[in-house]
Amino acid sequence: MITLTLKEQPSVPLEAEVLSPDVTAELSNAAIRALPVYLGKRQRRVEDFFDVDGASSDQITIKGDASRVKWIGRAMTRGQITVTGNAGMHLGAYMSGGAIDVSGNGSDWVGAEMSGGLIRIGGNAGGQIGAAYRGSNTGMRDGTILVGGGAGLEVGMRMKRGIIAVRGPVRDFAGLQMRGGTIVLGSGAELRTGAWMMRGTIISLRHLPLMPTFLYSATYVPGFLRICSAYLDRLGFTLPCDEQEGAYRRYTGDTSVPGKGEILIWVPRGA
Amino acid sequence: MGRELHGVEIVDTFAEAFDMRASRVIITAASEGWARTAAVSMTGFATSVIGCKVEAGIEAMLPASDTPDGRPGASVLVFAFNAEGLSTRLVERVGQTVLTCPTTACFDGLPDAPERATVGGVLRHFGDKFQASKVVDGRRYWRVPVMEGEFLVQETFGTQSAIGGGNLLILAKDQAAALAAAEASVDAMRQVRGVILPFPGGIVRAGSKVGAKRYKNMTASTNEAYCPTVRGRLGVASELPETVNSVLEIVIDGVDRQAIEDAMRVGLDAACGPGVVQISAGNYGGKLGKHLFKLHDLLN
Amino acid sequence: MLRITGGKVYDPANNVNGVIKDICIDGGRIVAAADESLGAEAPRAKAARAIDASGMLVFPGGVDVHTHVAGGALNFARGLVPENQRAARKFLHSKDRRAGLGGMTPTTFATGYLYAGMGWTTVNEAAVPVLTAKHTHEELHDTPIVDKSALLLMANNEMVLDLLEAGEGERARHVVAWLIWAAKVYGVKAVNPGGVAAWKWGKNASALHETFEGYTSLTPAKIIAGLAQIVDELRLPHPLHLHCNNLGVPGNVATTVETMKVLEGRRAHLAHLQFHAYGGDGWSNMHSEAAAVAEAFNRHTNLTCDAGAVLFGDAVTITADGPWQHLLYQLTGRKWGNLDVENETGCGIVPYVYKDRSLVNAVQWAVGLELMLLITDPWRVFLTTDHPNGGCFWRYPEIVQLLMDVEFRKEQVRRLPEAAQKRIVLGDLDRKYSLSEIAIITSAGPARALGMANKGHLGVGADADVAIYPEHPDEDGFLFSYPRYVLKGGEIVVEEGDVIGGSEGREFIVRPEYDAAIEAYIRPLFQQAYTISFDNYPVALERLRHPEQVNLPTKSA
Repeated sequence: MITLTLKEQPSVPLEAEVLSPDVTAELSNAAIRALPVYLGKRQRRVEDFFDVDGASSDQITIKGDASRVKWIGRAMTRGQITVTGNAGMHLGAYMSGGAIDVSGNGSDWVGAEMSGGLIRIGGNAGGQIGAAYRGSNTGMRDGTILVGGGAGLEVGMRMKRGIIAVRGPVRDFAGLQMRGGTIVLGSGAELRTGAWMMRGTIISLRHLPLMPTFLYSATYVPGFLRICSAYLDRLGFTLPCDEQEGAYRRYTGDTSVPGKGEILIWVPRGA
Repeated sequence: MGRELHGVEIVDTFAEAFDMRASRVIITAASEGWARTAAVSMTGFATSVIGCKVEAGIEAMLPASDTPDGRPGASVLVFAFNAEGLSTRLVERVGQTVLTCPTTACFDGLPDAPERATVGGVLRHFGDKFQASKVVDGRRYWRVPVMEGEFLVQETFGTQSAIGGGNLLILAKDQAAALAAAEASVDAMRQVRGVILPFPGGIVRAGSKVGAKRYKNMTASTNEAYCPTVRGRLGVASELPETVNSVLEIVIDGVDRQAIEDAMRVGLDAACGPGVVQISAGNYGGKLGKHLFKLHDLLN
Repeated sequence: MLRITGGKVYDPANNVNGVIKDICIDGGRIVAAADESLGAEAPRAKAARAIDASGMLVFPGGVDVHTHVAGGALNFARGLVPENQRAARKFLHSKDRRAGLGGMTPTTFATGYLYAGMGWTTVNEAAVPVLTAKHTHEELHDTPIVDKSALLLMANNEMVLDLLEAGEGERARHVVAWLIWAAKVYGVKAVNPGGVAAWKWGKNASALHETFEGYTSLTPAKIIAGLAQIVDELRLPHPLHLHCNNLGVPGNVATTVETMKVLEGRRAHLAHLQFHAYGGDGWSNMHSEAAAVAEAFNRHTNLTCDAGAVLFGDAVTITADGPWQHLLYQLTGRKWGNLDVENETGCGIVPYVYKDRSLVNAVQWAVGLELMLLITDPWRVFLTTDHPNGGCFWRYPEIVQLLMDVEFRKEQVRRLPEAAQKRIVLGDLDRKYSLSEIAIITSAGPARALGMANKGHLGVGADADVAIYPEHPDEDGFLFSYPRYVLKGGEIVVEEGDVIGGSEGREFIVRPEYDAAIEAYIRPLFQQAYTISFDNYPVALERLRHPEQVNLPTKSA
């Protein structure tokens, strides 16, 4: 286990893509301390901002309020990162394996363009979760992102595969230009959910304002939802799928594209 | 040297079984009844690869807690000569009998098998481009829109090498005794996982030999050495002791050697009932099949 | 004073072909090697130093006669492809260097470092609109090390077109001259004459001798002839620089050959000729007509050209040829950006990938090389890729290899799809470029065509722009990728493959003669049609930090 304890808040956000199990797996303690981090345009060292314990491990714990530490877990393929406080932007961007666990809040661009692995945020996250960076055709290509709190704009924008589940409310443009995959909105969303959606599934457990280009198709409990539910259940997220308890109203869209996606809105029995 | 079990002679012989290719298909439905209905339909007309192209049967009924989607289910094993044949047969059978049956979903029962047969990946075309796929936890599923709602089927099913043709021959004093013993044996074997008994009720009343002596171009014909009413005819060397008047065979296909051994062991024990004279097994002198199951080894 | 000793010198302009001799540099210029006396030291010059170039090749610094590296169009392109910037080579800031991004649309500092890092020391920005010239000059200033020149887009300038249609050639000349000085540039560029003006109506100008939307009698041929005449009358150092009509269209060989006829009796430079040498009448039968174009070109000795060669891989097409870019967008279904530049020109941006499996792209790849091999006089055909349209400039070493290594070239041809090999002649060409010829097409020839007397050679008085290469290719297989030393104006800017900074380079400009009264003609038209105030239109000379005004020959016999 390698433990990094933030001892000094950076004056501007720190670019710390070196904080990744792939980087630290074979490094000595001294080598980890000497790894470069960028404070604006200046190159500094990890030890300028962190106390470092341990060596040669793909298990990393980061302690302290790292909300200004960007790119933690960038492009990681293995191992585990545990952040006991908050984490900065681009957490787990481009990752393809391993797991990241944040007890506090995340920021924007969590899991951007990731292709595998698991990210869990206990608190809130920002916008553009699992999204494509500007100009890229595709966002998240696989993997799982779970957020315990709420999230911001453009959750899952241009994602192609994988699952994003957010317990709290999200803001506008969830699933913008979605190409596939599944977004679960535990507490619904604000406006323009699914705008320009091509494929994929947005599941909302609360009522959701829908754009007029989404058209009603059916009310049922889709079979695949039980598979998702079993998967998310193992990760501590509950997705209702019992016909005794209710059903999903399915809306197809975004017909303005035209898209073959769907928005499923949970309606409890008797409601 | 002769051995006995529960007063029944166990012939010192062996069953000769063959390489096959198998898949496990999990069918779930809204109720156990509907899962069973789909499974029975799927495994119909699947007694022998020779005439039916596959051998298939229900391995076990599954409680809801044991299935991928948490609904009651059935586990079906399908055996074919080779991977390509297996693939084609799976598509045919799932397509004609599971896809068509109300409330079913269809999942792969060999998730760790590296070799895959494309099943949902073919059946999805029934959706006429209205279908959609979903990848969850690294597995791809197809959602095919149907009048009843949606049919969910996994894209690929694992296939593995397997064994077909383990068997027991029950030689008894009369038909009733043979049948009672065979039924008891089948009940015992059905508790074993990893095997199916492809013939009707698990039992073969017309055990066969390869080819024929008096007709050309026959794949199989009656095995006269074990037919009680042929005993005494000129030129027939009967294998039947004088007191035997009826023989029934049980054929066992299994995912591996261990499963067949387990089934044959419990089956052998249960078959040694009243009126049973001998338990034997069918083979081809060890010349055709790679897998030999010696009956006496099962007694140890 | 700096002395380069022991290197094999290639100075074709002075008939030096692989001779081992010393090159002496003082005060930013080449000086006679026999002169032993040390001149007074320039403020930042090093003390007398020798560079041991034994076993190395000494070339005059490269001159890129046609590239797009600065200004509004390029910056718009940078913004259109942020995903390219993320994947681009990063230049980290250091004591000697500013930060930057390479890739297909390099940022300004990186552009200078990338050119110098290859041994190129002079760069001609091929397309500047008057309206946004200030932006171009800002970016050129921020392009370190290399010297620059820029060409002004004229062939769709409605003020000029109106005058040409009215037959007012003389007044048109004054307007053009005024615009050149207003924009503080070096020469005149014509892109798809008439076509970009027609694009403002959603149309194009595909027929050389027919009029086009918005005009009643003016034709592309008349614009070409009119501008060529104006450029000659103004005695500009570089001739009219022309991007012919029907770029990229199968069968455009006819337009190109006819254009050469229109230009008879005038100087002209045909830009990126590769894009103008296609036969066929559609994408399914598009094939190379490089042989026909080369044959006509060889006969028309008044012309120079640059290759505009294509390399397989990613590119970003940036051109004023708006209608062509819209067509390309429809072919690719990818991103498209289109800018309109009030009354003057436009531009289209389309990211593009040249694939070796595509029959069309394979033909394009072959045609650029075929032209360079079939045009007999290396002093008239220059190495370019119309960066970033055909490929990135920092891949020029790949083209050098294809010209010098016949076996390698033929092997690349054999790798193309069979159907493509039938549409080209490259596999049958055995010509091999010598180092001297490479020095001509990358340096001496373009310098001469640009009329830059002190560039492209290593004779006494030349600017001390020198590139010193290892004699044999590096691990990546290309000669010219990593010069051991590059000098610019006598200063070492690259040492042992590292760019070590350098000064800011100069911008060459010209001030052609015009009647000052022409401003009274231009001002009211301008105020009526443009959105900015006329007083804000010209670029004040003070905005150029290091202008170098080239004097034009006086009118004489």
